[in-house]
Amino acid sequence: MGPNEDVPLNRSDQRSPIARARAVWRVRKILWLLVVRDLKVTYAGSALGYVWTVLDPLLMCSVYWFVFTQVFPRGAGEEPYIIFLVAGVLAWNWFTSSVNESAKAFRASRKLVKSTDLPREIWILQVVMSKGCEYVMSLPVLVAFMLIYQKSVNIYILTLPLAMAIQFVLLTGIGLLLAPLIVLVRDLERLIKVMLRLGFYASPVLYSVDRVPESYQWIYVVNPMGDLLQLYRSGIFGDLMNWGHVGIAAAISTAVFALGWFVFARLERTALKEI
Amino acid sequence: MPTQTTGATDSALAEPVISVDGLSVRFHKSRRNRSVRDLLFKGQSGVRAGEFWALRRVTFDVQHGEAIGVIGRNGQGKSTLLKALAGVLMPDDGTVEVRGGVAPLIEITGGFVGDLTVRDNITLTAGLHGMNKEQVAGCFDDIVEFAEIENFLDAPYKHLSSGMRVRVAFAVVSRLEEPILLVDEVLAVGDRAFREKCWERIEELIDDGRTLFLVSHNARDLKRFCSRGLYMQEGKLIMDAPIAEVLEQYHADSDEAAELRREQVSKRKEDRERAIADDPSTVGESNDGTSSRETRNKDKKAERPRRVDDDDDDYDTY
Repeated sequence: MGPNEDVPLNRSDQRSPIARARAVWRVRKILWLLVVRDLKVTYAGSALGYVWTVLDPLLMCSVYWFVFTQVFPRGAGEEPYIIFLVAGVLAWNWFTSSVNESAKAFRASRKLVKSTDLPREIWILQVVMSKGCEYVMSLPVLVAFMLIYQKSVNIYILTLPLAMAIQFVLLTGIGLLLAPLIVLVRDLERLIKVMLRLGFYASPVLYSVDRVPESYQWIYVVNPMGDLLQLYRSGIFGDLMNWGHVGIAAAISTAVFALGWFVFARLERTALKEI
Repeated sequence: MPTQTTGATDSALAEPVISVDGLSVRFHKSRRNRSVRDLLFKGQSGVRAGEFWALRRVTFDVQHGEAIGVIGRNGQGKSTLLKALAGVLMPDDGTVEVRGGVAPLIEITGGFVGDLTVRDNITLTAGLHGMNKEQVAGCFDDIVEFAEIENFLDAPYKHLSSGMRVRVAFAVVSRLEEPILLVDEVLAVGDRAFREKCWERIEELIDDGRTLFLVSHNARDLKRFCSRGLYMQEGKLIMDAPIAEVLEQYHADSDEAAELRREQVSKRKEDRERAIADDPSTVGESNDGTSSRETRNKDKKAERPRRVDDDDDDYDTY
């Protein structure tokens, strides 16, 4: 018990990423169950249920639409602006809700984390996936506007799964990074909120990248969400497609994922004691 | 893995189902003096100031079908040991090997969601603990019957009373086909009749050949279920023997501690009385009042049964 006892510590529990990935794969059914549970809670919990999934982005978009077409009628993105806007806001919503909640994943599932030995990555994956499902379920809003404005899709719409896959990797990485950190450093929660708000304006949600002065455009290239939003929109506005930027987004997302997973593996033990 | 079933371990009877070797877990007394950089890059080097070992070099093996009681005063590492066995805490040193799935009756209400119906909750939680659809369907009725919850199946879980919640949770978790059962004083909630029902269920499971790990302060329960006792003190395993011997030692130690405490109390009282005698001017009415209250307290303490097995309701809240 002496506090000075220095012992060689073995690291038998520090498993390779492959072993970790396998462990997650083995519980994929449970993961899916958790995602279904999340969706059930979202849609069974309130009277309006699914309506909120549609209404929430709709209301937000109508505000932005009013500001950028009626108050400052300069135009901010492609036309019709509302479609440009909705396509961005929906994807951004997935990003922001997922970052917010996956950061808190350990605390939110505290009791389960403390009573089951499921690979702990799944608490983050659960959030990212259920928010992803909500994103998909909010897409009809976009489809509705496209029908109203008679705007059709182009071949790049096929890249939608790619965009979602890259965003999934990015979000998982951010979640893995933040979830254990936030258990150990509470203030991070505040910081995340501020960063997300900054991120909203540093991403081309409300406006198109080509409206940004050229000297600042690198921000939108380095910011993977910037590239991804352009990719999401390219299925409707073909001239936004830029494969180079897609590559950059994929590379940065992968790097974030690797960093997040590394940090997660290192902090998991300590975080578990603090939950 | 939680998905494994009893069948998997049957072939490995000779091998211990649980091997704990040199298990150590370290906790921080405070969260203040740590930086994130510290955690990431040198967080593993020995014990520094503000840390203590919640478990220190604990070593033991458990054979298939053994029923083990863990004894010790509060804060001596019992629950930490159980958590390490359940895999929800990772050892800072040493190894824990658990061959076969674990049904952890720790925080059993954890998987339940207030907004969903009891029915949904049962299906989901059972699935969460590794049951597949057929298994859940197979034992759904048993669970409902055990929890006596027929009339509330379609009510949201949050409308249940806390006692009923634990009933449903216990009914589900005790239905898991895992060869190892970890019980951490979960049965503190619930009325007497249901508690007895839970114990009967646990008895059934033991007879079924499950391995039981029970943390309790209740000597009667420990004697009833366990054959072997582990006595934890200051994070160390100080005794590993038949349950009766361990309980005897534990009671002897507790009595000793109680004796010591009584001595201290009476010594303090004597000191005060002496002080009063030395300086009568400080004696006020209130002072008299205190001392008589203390005497009364002391009497009460003496009346109070000292043996642990008698205070039936002396559970920790978990």
